Amino acid sequence: MDDGKEREPRMKLNRREIMTGAAVLAAAPRVARAQGAGEILIGAVFPMTGSTAQTGLDAKNAIETAAAIINDKTDLDLPLARGAGLPGFGGAKVRVIYADHQGDPQKGRAEAERLITQEKAVALIGCYHSAVSATVSQTAERYALPFMCADSSSPSLSRRGLKFFFRASAHDEMFSSAMFDLMDSLRAKGQKIETLALFHEDTIFGADSANVQTKLAGERGYRIACDVKYRANSPSLTTEVQQIKSAAADVLMPSSYTTDGILLVRTMNELGYKPRAIVAQAAGFSEQALYDAVGDLLHGAITRGSFSLDLAQKRPMVARVNDLFKARAGKDLNDNSAREFMALIVLADGVNRAGTTDGEAIRAALTATDIPGDRTIMPWKGVRFDATGQNNGCDPVLLQYDGRKFVTVFPLLAAISEPVWPMNS
Amino acid sequence: MTSDPHIKARRENIFVAIGVVFVVACLPLFVTDVYVQNVLVLTLMYAALSQSWNILSGFCGQISLGHALYFGTGAYVTELLFTKFGVAPWFGMPAGGLVAAVIAAAVGYPCFRLKGHYFVIATIVIAEAGYLLMLNWDYAGAAQGIDIPVRADSWAKFQFLRSKLPYFYFALGFAFVAWLVTYMIEESRWSYWWRAAKDNADAAESLGVDVFRSKMAAAALSAFLTAVGGGFYAQFVSYIDPESVMGFQFSLLMALPAVLGGLGTLWGPAVGAGILIPLTELTRSFAGGSGKGLDLIIYGLLVMGIALGRPEGIVGAVTKRARKGRP
Repeated sequence: MDDGKEREPRMKLNRREIMTGAAVLAAAPRVARAQGAGEILIGAVFPMTGSTAQTGLDAKNAIETAAAIINDKTDLDLPLARGAGLPGFGGAKVRVIYADHQGDPQKGRAEAERLITQEKAVALIGCYHSAVSATVSQTAERYALPFMCADSSSPSLSRRGLKFFFRASAHDEMFSSAMFDLMDSLRAKGQKIETLALFHEDTIFGADSANVQTKLAGERGYRIACDVKYRANSPSLTTEVQQIKSAAADVLMPSSYTTDGILLVRTMNELGYKPRAIVAQAAGFSEQALYDAVGDLLHGAITRGSFSLDLAQKRPMVARVNDLFKARAGKDLNDNSAREFMALIVLADGVNRAGTTDGEAIRAALTATDIPGDRTIMPWKGVRFDATGQNNGCDPVLLQYDGRKFVTVFPLLAAISEPVWPMNS
Repeated sequence: MTSDPHIKARRENIFVAIGVVFVVACLPLFVTDVYVQNVLVLTLMYAALSQSWNILSGFCGQISLGHALYFGTGAYVTELLFTKFGVAPWFGMPAGGLVAAVIAAAVGYPCFRLKGHYFVIATIVIAEAGYLLMLNWDYAGAAQGIDIPVRADSWAKFQFLRSKLPYFYFALGFAFVAWLVTYMIEESRWSYWWRAAKDNADAAESLGVDVFRSKMAAAALSAFLTAVGGGFYAQFVSYIDPESVMGFQFSLLMALPAVLGGLGTLWGPAVGAGILIPLTELTRSFAGGSGKGLDLIIYGLLVMGIALGRPEGIVGAVTKRARKGRP
């Protein structure tokens, strides 16, 4: 302990560093604030790094596609597509600034604050992870400007009494309801569907999904033959698959991400279990990677989704928007990117009608949103927000894998063929 | 070595600390941007957390990579008391600290019989078990977590809509308390016992050091402070779920500043946090939106650079050079 003297100069340096750092920091925002005249800034908070980075990058491409359609003259039948920019602001362009939340609610909140206070964003979009949408929407509420929830589907998000929360797409209860609607309609046609096997992972997604499915099964007279909860990213699912095999339910309802889904299907094959039908809660079951790995075993599997490219047969605009997206992303629109695309269109429509960047005014304009379904790229009835900020006209679709691609089989509004039931028939 | 320069050095340390606190306390006069204030709050919080971690792992030598358990315990106890029973966080945070201290003692009782890597692995496993427990405990929100409604500024509830200053001054006070605790125990009998146990537990035991009990004390103290930080974090973010307060990354984030700054040193955690946290926050904000992962590359390079060039930590390197330059 003879180093006391030398600490003094070091601490001085440290102090100076802190001050210089603070000065640099204080100056940085001023630079960022310099924005082009006639621009409306919208902040987007998505995972840009980490295990879900691809989703964030797809979201960016989807939102940029939407921004390009708004800012340039096109002949698409979407809100704001026909003119250039926002007519409510004399043709001002929409510019979206992206921030990375890395799946962390704290980082999402900090980035939201930065986008609002430094970048002067007039509204926010996000955030894929429901946990991050929870803190980002709360931050938007504190600063009294709207948050458009693009793709988080936890039902609890719209039930917190927030004034500035809006969600144009469906939440998990609506998704699960659609799955049961399909089974009800098949029952009405004489199919024997009585028992269900729930198979779900243990994070917020799987837990929420199974809760709702259990509730709906009770209400609509289905019996849960087994409810198997498993640890996400588990190295083996043999015991779990034994359980669902011995339950021999009429329908297997998995809520799994991609890697778990692949393991589930492979293990079922190894143990010689062929379910009569699979009705999956999207996630892994709408990912191409899963079908690339085990597609031949999933002939006839059904999954829910928000979006279907089949809609292009009834609404050619969908194919054109998909082409625009594909030019940027090198892939087709999917369940998530289609929702993210629509989120910016709906939000920009509200901002435009408000005609001012005031948060309260944009909120008022959004609550008055009324977009008919055929002016979206989704199989929706339309976009109208209820008192909680939820759009109730966003019917999900059910898609069946025919061995090569997905075919929309439900509801009638969007279906292009009848479901094959049981799956292997 | 006479006691005279030693006491002088101690006195200088406390003056420097008070000076640093004073300067930092004045920062909000110049820094009005909430985003930068947010970075400052996090920096101070991690300085305090890392200081707490340093008590057990730096001074006592029991490397823990499971401190997220105590952090999460603090967050959950504070918020369960707050949202379910209306108990103000001012009571919730120390309550969380006490619960965490008890858990640390319960964990320590079997685990302090393990040595070296085995102890580290045990801390990781126990923290993971705690994480799974919270993930499945419906009363505590399970995977959905706990959303903490904030409707108005309130000192009683310790929540503020937009202002970061109350959080800033709390974090500053917390960091100073954690530093002061370390400063006081640095000269206490406990600290000498811990260091003896760290260097050679068997030799220390044979000289009359109660190694087991001194480790238990270090663990309980470290866990208490960490849990107070967890309660603060929950109030600051207004939302907790198992992943965001009990994930393994928190255990690493608490250890990194101390390792970077200097393991088992008084100033190491503060110096480490002062460099690491602004760096991670700023690189993410200004390079993260591109989606190219540039921020993580910068961060990774820095950690690698420190590990290769200054494995003893910044404070260690500075004091070593200072010693060399002395006649």
